[in-house]
Amino acid sequence: MTIGATHIDHIVISSNDSAATAKQFSESLGIEIKRAMVRPGTGAHLEFAKLQEVILEFAGPGEVKPYDEVKAKLSGIVLAVDDIHATIAAIRAAGFSVGDPHPAVQPGALFTGMKGGTNGVPFGFIQYNALPMGEPKA
Amino acid sequence: MKVKRIDHVGIVVKDLDAALATFERNFDLNADPARGGEVPTFAIKNAFVPIGGTDLEFFSPTTEDGPVAKFVHERGEGLYMMSIEVDDLTGAIEHLRGLGARVGDPINGLAFVSMKATHGVNLQLVQRG
Repeated sequence: MTIGATHIDHIVISSNDSAATAKQFSESLGIEIKRAMVRPGTGAHLEFAKLQEVILEFAGPGEVKPYDEVKAKLSGIVLAVDDIHATIAAIRAAGFSVGDPHPAVQPGALFTGMKGGTNGVPFGFIQYNALPMGEPKA
Repeated sequence: MKVKRIDHVGIVVKDLDAALATFERNFDLNADPARGGEVPTFAIKNAFVPIGGTDLEFFSPTTEDGPVAKFVHERGEGLYMMSIEVDDLTGAIEHLRGLGARVGDPINGLAFVSMKATHGVNLQLVQRG
């Protein structure tokens, strides 16, 4: 059984202030933030950096409260796959629960997440070039 | 300081062999037999599962105390830390200390950055080659 993972595509760092955490990483480590956006539908504030093939995604609420302390944590891993439908079939055949694919924030990509993850790790899967570019997001 | 790439992501598990079997059997993600084993310095045993150019490092505690054992007791299994490859470990440590971050002295070619400097993310620096 194979899920056809080609590489780790995303590492998600969730924070109660994702802009502040992205800034902290950028300023201390010299990592360039390439993109910031609001996730359609949820309003979450996302910022992205890329280190070779791996994207660091800083994710947090759209509305930031005046926290006493900004807190962040590693919160998920997204694996790139060649055929997300085959990946989903393989994961379901192995007895794990995974959602149906839906358009990702990356243009043309499809994403799904493993419900509950495994070994305490939330895993997601993304297939690039899965949709015609410009197709409306759900 | 120059960050080159994400070297690996560390995942704490209670039973290393069982976790590796789960990932091999269900996802065809296999540990590199040439790496891993007991790491007495950190009181863990580990294994590396390469996916593209980055590894998942699975590790479990080998003693009842220590930070990894404490993590398992308090939080269970899960994501533990992220390791980034830098071009110059000594220079990176000096750079971060210059910014006021607490960074441990290198052990086995690795250095840990205080989580206070990363908003709570456990960050490791490593220099390869």
